[in-house]
Amino acid sequence: MSTPILSAQAVVKRVPTAEGELTILDQIDLAVGAGDQVAVVGESGSGKTTLLGILAGLDLPSSGEVWLDGDQITAMGEEDRARVRGRCVGFVFQSFQLIDSLTALENVMLPLELRGDRQARDDARDFLDRVGLGARTTHYPRQLSGGEQQRVAIARAFASGPKVLFADEPTGNLDTATGAKVADLLFDLNREAGTTLVLVTHDAALASRCGATITLAAGRIVEPLLEAVE
Amino acid sequence: MTLSLVLRFASRDWRAGELRLLLAALLLAVGAVSAISLFVDRLHRALIAESTTFLGADRVIDSSRPIPDAFREAATERGIVQADVITFPSMVFAASEGNDRNLLASVKAVAAGYPLRGTLRTAGEPFSEGAFTDALPAPGEVWMDSRLFPALGVAVGDRVAVGYEEFTVGAVLTAEPDRGGSFFDFAPRLLMRAEDVPATRVVQPGSRIGYRLALAGDDAPLASLYDAISEELRPNYRWRSIRDANATIGRALERAESFLLLGGLLAVLLAGIAVALGANRYSRRHFDHVAVLKTLGATPSDIQWGYTGVLLVIGLAGAVLGLVLGALVHLGIIAALGRFLPIDLPMPGPRPLFIGLVTGFICLLAFALPPLLALRGISPMRVIRRDLAHGVAPAVTYSFAIIGSLGLLVWYSGNVFLTIWALLGAVVTGSVFASMALLLLRGGRVLGMQAGSVWRLALAGLQRRYRENVAQIMIFGFAIMLLLIMLLVRTALIDEWQAQIPEGTPNHFLMNVGSDEADAVQELLTSRTEYEGELFPMIRGRITEVNGMSSREWREQRRELRRGPDGPPRGPSTRGSRNLTFSAELPENNVLVDGEWWPADGDEPLVSLEADYAEDNGLSIGDTLGFDIGGLPLAAEVANIRRVEWDSLAPNFFLILSPAALKGYPATYMTSFHLPKEQKRFLSELLAAHPSITVIDVDGIIAQVRGIIDRVTQAVELVLYLVLSAGVLVLIASIQSSRDQRLREHALLRALGGTRKLIGGALVSEFAVLGVFAGLVAVIGAEITVYALNTQIFELSHAFHPWLWAAGPAFGMALIAAVGYLGTRKLVHSPPATVLREV
Repeated sequence: MSTPILSAQAVVKRVPTAEGELTILDQIDLAVGAGDQVAVVGESGSGKTTLLGILAGLDLPSSGEVWLDGDQITAMGEEDRARVRGRCVGFVFQSFQLIDSLTALENVMLPLELRGDRQARDDARDFLDRVGLGARTTHYPRQLSGGEQQRVAIARAFASGPKVLFADEPTGNLDTATGAKVADLLFDLNREAGTTLVLVTHDAALASRCGATITLAAGRIVEPLLEAVE
Repeated sequence: MTLSLVLRFASRDWRAGELRLLLAALLLAVGAVSAISLFVDRLHRALIAESTTFLGADRVIDSSRPIPDAFREAATERGIVQADVITFPSMVFAASEGNDRNLLASVKAVAAGYPLRGTLRTAGEPFSEGAFTDALPAPGEVWMDSRLFPALGVAVGDRVAVGYEEFTVGAVLTAEPDRGGSFFDFAPRLLMRAEDVPATRVVQPGSRIGYRLALAGDDAPLASLYDAISEELRPNYRWRSIRDANATIGRALERAESFLLLGGLLAVLLAGIAVALGANRYSRRHFDHVAVLKTLGATPSDIQWGYTGVLLVIGLAGAVLGLVLGALVHLGIIAALGRFLPIDLPMPGPRPLFIGLVTGFICLLAFALPPLLALRGISPMRVIRRDLAHGVAPAVTYSFAIIGSLGLLVWYSGNVFLTIWALLGAVVTGSVFASMALLLLRGGRVLGMQAGSVWRLALAGLQRRYRENVAQIMIFGFAIMLLLIMLLVRTALIDEWQAQIPEGTPNHFLMNVGSDEADAVQELLTSRTEYEGELFPMIRGRITEVNGMSSREWREQRRELRRGPDGPPRGPSTRGSRNLTFSAELPENNVLVDGEWWPADGDEPLVSLEADYAEDNGLSIGDTLGFDIGGLPLAAEVANIRRVEWDSLAPNFFLILSPAALKGYPATYMTSFHLPKEQKRFLSELLAAHPSITVIDVDGIIAQVRGIIDRVTQAVELVLYLVLSAGVLVLIASIQSSRDQRLREHALLRALGGTRKLIGGALVSEFAVLGVFAGLVAVIGAEITVYALNTQIFELSHAFHPWLWAAGPAFGMALIAAVGYLGTRKLVHSPPATVLREV
């Protein structure tokens, strides 16, 4: 494995519930090298999504450390974590998370605008071209199919040139054929950009396309970072 | 976040329709407040201008000494227009062959420019109404009151003499604007030019002459003039404004101002609620948006400043457009009411526009900022888990809103007392509302179990979202309460004003009735008019002693005691004679405040004092007053203190003595009575039979008072309608803001097979139930607040309103069901899939 760009040490996440404290993640240790593709798999409720949130700096663990691109993001406030996300993280979500009131182009422009990119419009147009939606720039999300929406989301994720891309069930809301096309697109762009990919899924076929797999069960890693057999 | 990005965000939100409710609420806030302020400001200026015709000027300086030139120069320096008026009593003689009749007249000599405010009215025939005129008597000419004509036996065109000079009677003077100042200016009027006075040689040192300098100008120079000369005014010159000139008008104006102010306050509060609702909806619809922005690297500060920026952009747009809207609305009101507003409205000052602008921004800060600041705390995890909790604690929102309202209201009204009452009412009723609303919802659910499916669905829906519904009942209830408050206070105010001058108010005073004529006059009045009163004896007398001390000593002693050696003298004046009367009974319109009324057949010499007179002169029960009545001494003990309704237009006296004290002294008699217009000829008959009596016609004064009260009433009603429309708009905003959630639930029900009828019925029933509950809490709040306002601010008598308890809930039900149905109708009729996607 190359130098880790993302690592977790002894990460624990507990949440209070009516029946007392519930441990969602228990002593998670992992390291992901720059340019690696890692799938996180497990059954529903195993803690995959929570782990993704913590690794990406969207949420904080109850204890433990997470390092992302040289920063210990667990020691940062939300303000600094947001900057780290803006600098080196991209996301693709199961439910696309496009902003309804913005056109496809404006959705892709958003991360560029937030970092003050003066050529946001042109760059965003390039990315929409690359995902095959160059003709749909002025369309609103509700005018696009699920597959098209996810392609816009992928264009947005890559537009900011992230070092690490987090994908949460990116094909979960799509039919098999569309899902396969979206997955192809995701992996192609990822390979081109040399981005590190952390992919949460319970689709074994999708997971198998990643270089490595982490399997979670009841908040624990049961099969640590197995190198996939190509 | 850069400004250009903020502007881009704002324009995208605007395009998506996200900002429309907020902007509409803001437009409403600024528009309503500036429309009310503009209209009230202009009406206020117009009413003041109208009322100043009561003085014939904006201010006057009165004195028994000539007005010093220093005053005139100071006024000229400030650009204040002036006119001199001199009044003095003088005998007027008929100056034709074989006619030697004469009568004491009150001569008013005026300089060019008089009257500075208001208009004279003249006629060719005595006792007719006449027409307005801008002219004055020409030099060598006089205009006279109707009653001088029969008394002197002259007609227009004849000659009369005043002192050493003869004049031509140019016209009958039927009305003069500044007549209303004093009812004690009894003698009939003769109006002449000031430049004719010297030729009459009537004005001699020692004559009883009233000098008046009438002033007209803007408030600021007038105030500056007052400041400049106030030291020299005391004690010989009196500075008077409309408020001093007539108590009825002054009080009506004050109350009307308070009411208009209250209307403005309520409009501000309603608008604030509308802004808060709009901002809440905007904020709620941006939770996901913000979560996505955060995953893309937007920091909490970016979010905070970005949305504050969007808010400021909207605030600026809303304020500017709101001002335009307010100006248009107020022009619309004026145009619509042109027919009813026969006065020209002066241009408004800058204050109303400033009020509108500041209101807009404070509304934004107090009501809209808190929900938007909550966006800062939205967790980016929301992109993965939608159910994450979020939002500011309501306590923070409420305290922001309360502090904001308080600041806004105090600044706007400049009346802390009124504000605190209004706000205290709001807070107390707010907490009572919340607990009541909760109880009602719980009770409704229990009842709903037994009801049909539509009602069960409606009541279950209400109970399920009880937090939101309690809030909504409070908002509805608050809006309805504010409307009820306006309605009740307005009704009480107008009733009170109308009652001040009821039909049949005496419009004529009869004076100088000799004791030998009294019975005949009483007989004539009773048989020919609807007169039921009695003639009061009037005896002129001077107060010479107080408690065995001479009045002068008493005054000196009081001065030392109360004000130090330099204070003004306090104590009964010994110089002038006073009108005294005696009565066995306490007269109507008089209320005892201290002591007891004397027995009708008592034989002690006692005196009853008017309360302010007693206070001003330092007199109390048990003091002894010594009188000089036509050279005969009389001592009487103060037996009681009375309060007098000076506005009642009935004969009123500062000093009333017991019959035992005054019986036997020579007296003339006076009374007041009502004479309808069509019976005016009776006056000629009365004067022909009793030529020496004096009749004073106060119809003009009554008509003036009525006219002003009518206009103030219109203003009050207008403001009521404005606040009413603001209230309805709040209701719409509130229904809009809860629409998404309601519709999502009902769309789900429809997807599960609920018919449109069922869903529509459930929605309308839900709103109807909310309306009934809101109406109920509103009635309670309104009764309490109106009680406080009436007793503490408007000083009106208060009664509870049983009808309101039925009308309030019924009104709430009808209004909210109707507005709710109209607001959701379109979506009930759209396919459920569309609804689910849209909301």
